[in-house]
Amino acid sequence: MEEQGVETGGAAGAAPPTNQSGLDLIGLTKVFPGGTVAVDDVNLHVDHGEYVVLLGPSGCGKTTTLRMIGGHEFPTQGEILLDGQSLVDLPPHKRPTTTVFQHFALFPHRTTLQNVEFGLKMHGVKKDERREAAMRALDMVGLVPLADRKPNALSGGQQQRVALARVLVTKPKALLLDEPLGDLDRLLQLRMRVELRNLQRQLGLMFIHVTHNQEEALSMADRIVVMNDARIQQVADPLTIATKPATEVVARFMGDNNILRGVVKAHEGDRLIIEGDEQHLRVSVHAPGDGRAIGSPAMISVRAAAVTVEANGSGDGLNSAECEIVFVEFLGDLVKLHLLAGDERMLAKVGAEHYPSLRGREGERIRISWKEDDVQLLDA
Amino acid sequence: MSSSSTPDSLREDANRLALDEVEEAEELSRQRRPGSEEALGEGGDGGRGSGWVTAALAAPGLIWIGFYLLAPLVIIVLVSFWTWTDAGFDKTFTTANYSELFHDSTYWDNMLSTVITSAIAVVACLVLGFPVAYFLALKVQSLRVQIALFIIALAPFWTSFLTRAIAWTFPLMGREGALNQLLVKLHVISEPISEFGFSTLSVRLAMIQLYILFMITPLFFTLAQVDRSALEAARDLGANWWGAFREVILPQTMPGIVIGSIFIFVLTMGDYGTVATVGGGNITSVGTLIYSKIGAVQYPQGAASAVLLVVVLMVGVWVITRLSNLREEL
Repeated sequence: MEEQGVETGGAAGAAPPTNQSGLDLIGLTKVFPGGTVAVDDVNLHVDHGEYVVLLGPSGCGKTTTLRMIGGHEFPTQGEILLDGQSLVDLPPHKRPTTTVFQHFALFPHRTTLQNVEFGLKMHGVKKDERREAAMRALDMVGLVPLADRKPNALSGGQQQRVALARVLVTKPKALLLDEPLGDLDRLLQLRMRVELRNLQRQLGLMFIHVTHNQEEALSMADRIVVMNDARIQQVADPLTIATKPATEVVARFMGDNNILRGVVKAHEGDRLIIEGDEQHLRVSVHAPGDGRAIGSPAMISVRAAAVTVEANGSGDGLNSAECEIVFVEFLGDLVKLHLLAGDERMLAKVGAEHYPSLRGREGERIRISWKEDDVQLLDA
Repeated sequence: MSSSSTPDSLREDANRLALDEVEEAEELSRQRRPGSEEALGEGGDGGRGSGWVTAALAAPGLIWIGFYLLAPLVIIVLVSFWTWTDAGFDKTFTTANYSELFHDSTYWDNMLSTVITSAIAVVACLVLGFPVAYFLALKVQSLRVQIALFIIALAPFWTSFLTRAIAWTFPLMGREGALNQLLVKLHVISEPISEFGFSTLSVRLAMIQLYILFMITPLFFTLAQVDRSALEAARDLGANWWGAFREVILPQTMPGIVIGSIFIFVLTMGDYGTVATVGGGNITSVGTLIYSKIGAVQYPQGAASAVLLVVVLMVGVWVITRLSNLREEL
């Protein structure tokens, strides 16, 4: 089986998958009639048992990517391999993947039980056997008492769980979730995150989850794939995505990052000294082996949460700034400071304990600083 | 593989706990939202003592129904129990009209052939109309194209009923008509068959064409409302085209099928215009029988025939709804 898979990969002429176990997207591209490029040369490997979140603004190609994996869109180019076997030419019902659709897509004329046993019925499983399997799946999501209800007599969270039971009963190798929490109200969303992640851990299944919600991605994923404009921007674990965005797009999309454009002023050993275009800010960044010339443009980001209001007396004017307080926004557990350093808008997020000393100080000046380790050099 | 095939191992207390929390969260969110029940409750309270208002609002509709629907029906039923004499109606109650009808084999022969014609029309319109509606509603992606094609499908119905009915006489089914010419050209027959025109066959074919839109329209609207993501989900879960059709499309389209079938059944059962025109006086139906009885001023006889027709219609409609329920229960 695996050997054959290697050949398939090689024959496709694309980069052969490094690992035959798991899902591989190779040069995946989708151009819609009319010329819109929805997905552009996406390469990704996902292991079995991994929880991967495709994150990006609407229209970034994340849903189209998911739909291609599930077989609901046909790729214009590229290869989709699951355990080394190509899925591209298989219709959805022949693929070992199943999708939880955005609005649950339950069958309104069928009871909960009938919804759940549908997949088995379609696969020709005998009635008693599929009833039993469906009841087991319902037990898993705690819906046995509601087995005879129709979907419109269920709450949003219950419908969500029916949708989950319905796909799990078919024992897919990979579960694809398209904005699975999008239809739930916020409180329920928070609970379902935990539940979904718990379920995935217990099943040890590959979950690929599409969302535009940064917080949801950070809280649930083993790995986040940030997409923008049909392309992958960065693939990394949540901590890296949150603290070390690779590109400006990621830094902006994840939010609460201070992004600064400037030019390289000097190399100091492994450090790079960058001066902002507005010349109010000077930043040092640890960048060993970075060979960019003095005077060439550079872009950095600093997380708002990494900015402190206590002056870290480095004294050299690096990684600190004199700012005007524009607005003090109290968020309960922290305080968000909207600042202006010259013409550069900046954000700082500090602990709520600072609120009493910051309250009402709009218009005043304050010194902020951050550590060199928190400065992230961005790709253009 | 092994991990995904042991659902029993999944039932862990941790998960249970999470589920309980979900219930709790839902309960909370329900409480936070001002309950719709409360709003309803207020509406109910406001309605106290407003029975007169309701009555006043309902009055125009009731008067309309009473005048145009109930009154004529009541009068027809009354007349069917009277006798017509040269001096006018003899209003003594008699069941003679009915007993006469029950022994009138012409009437029942016509009833049978009309039921067969209607059944053929219903089934043919469903079989021929479904693919059209399916294509329009589910295959055509753009709403604009959908509407344009639907209007084109309507185009023949912009001409008058009579024009279309007459087309089914000489031009289409006559000895020198299109069908005969085509069959001769194709060497299916050597001589034109004159029996095509003004026959039961031509009446039944004409009915299908004349009434099919009453099937396509409700089908189109119910098909257009089929949840496409549910359709995708069905395919995703392993249903082939037929499985998805039977499990998702058909149940959701059932109201359209029932409405279309009732439309066509009721319209074709009572039809006399098509039969008279396309059949050219050779063919009769319950409708033409009633028409000729009224023409011959046998009002009570005509009324009794009409009442029996209504009874048969009601049985037919009941059968149609039963058939659709049957499917639901399966």
